[in-house]
Amino acid sequence: MTTSYLLPHKWKTLGWVLLIIGLIGGVYLLFNDLESNLLKVPVFSIFDEPIIGQKGNFHIIENSFMDELTSILIIIGGLIVGFTKERIEDEYIAKLRTESLIWAIVFNYAVLFLGIVFVYGLSFFQVLVFNMFTPLLFFIIRFNFLKLKSNSDEE
Amino acid sequence: MKNNLKVQRAIHDMTQADVAEKIGVSRQTINAMEKGKYVPSTVLALKLSRLFETPVEKLFELENND
Repeated sequence: MTTSYLLPHKWKTLGWVLLIIGLIGGVYLLFNDLESNLLKVPVFSIFDEPIIGQKGNFHIIENSFMDELTSILIIIGGLIVGFTKERIEDEYIAKLRTESLIWAIVFNYAVLFLGIVFVYGLSFFQVLVFNMFTPLLFFIIRFNFLKLKSNSDEE
Repeated sequence: MKNNLKVQRAIHDMTQADVAEKIGVSRQTINAMEKGKYVPSTVLALKLSRLFETPVEKLFELENND
């Protein structure tokens, strides 16, 4: 069975490196209320509607690139980790991957459901931020857990 | 679905890793099949049949709830 949409196995390490750097950045931002003054650079903005100040479209603004960079690292790293071939890629691994994806989506929306019902006000913004990454992260955790589990089963 | 892969493996004196390597799958796959947790594809079943020189019907057997 060949699945053409997976990257070669050698990409896996790169994926983990990017993902881990991204997650460290994410934790740093979490402890700084998702804002930072690092990496202040001019960026091109298509939509910009600040809480205070003038809104504008298609212009250059000053922005800390830290949160953008962190998000990009987590997403790219996560995609690579989640969608590279295993060392021995076979149909059972493919089945584990599919099952993990289904599990992750259902679990993610169950958690989001709880967030919608029980989290209000500005805290809900945090739920939304987490939810950008959790489908991918839940999938990676579940898939690796299932792999480890089937690895540790004795003969 | 039942299977007697473990018996066949014992007859041929092979470990799970041996079988896995011969037919090009991971050892987990062989393990999951032996434990009845995974039903292999037709391709994989035929490869096992060729490896053990046994008809597929002798390796795998339908159960009442299948």
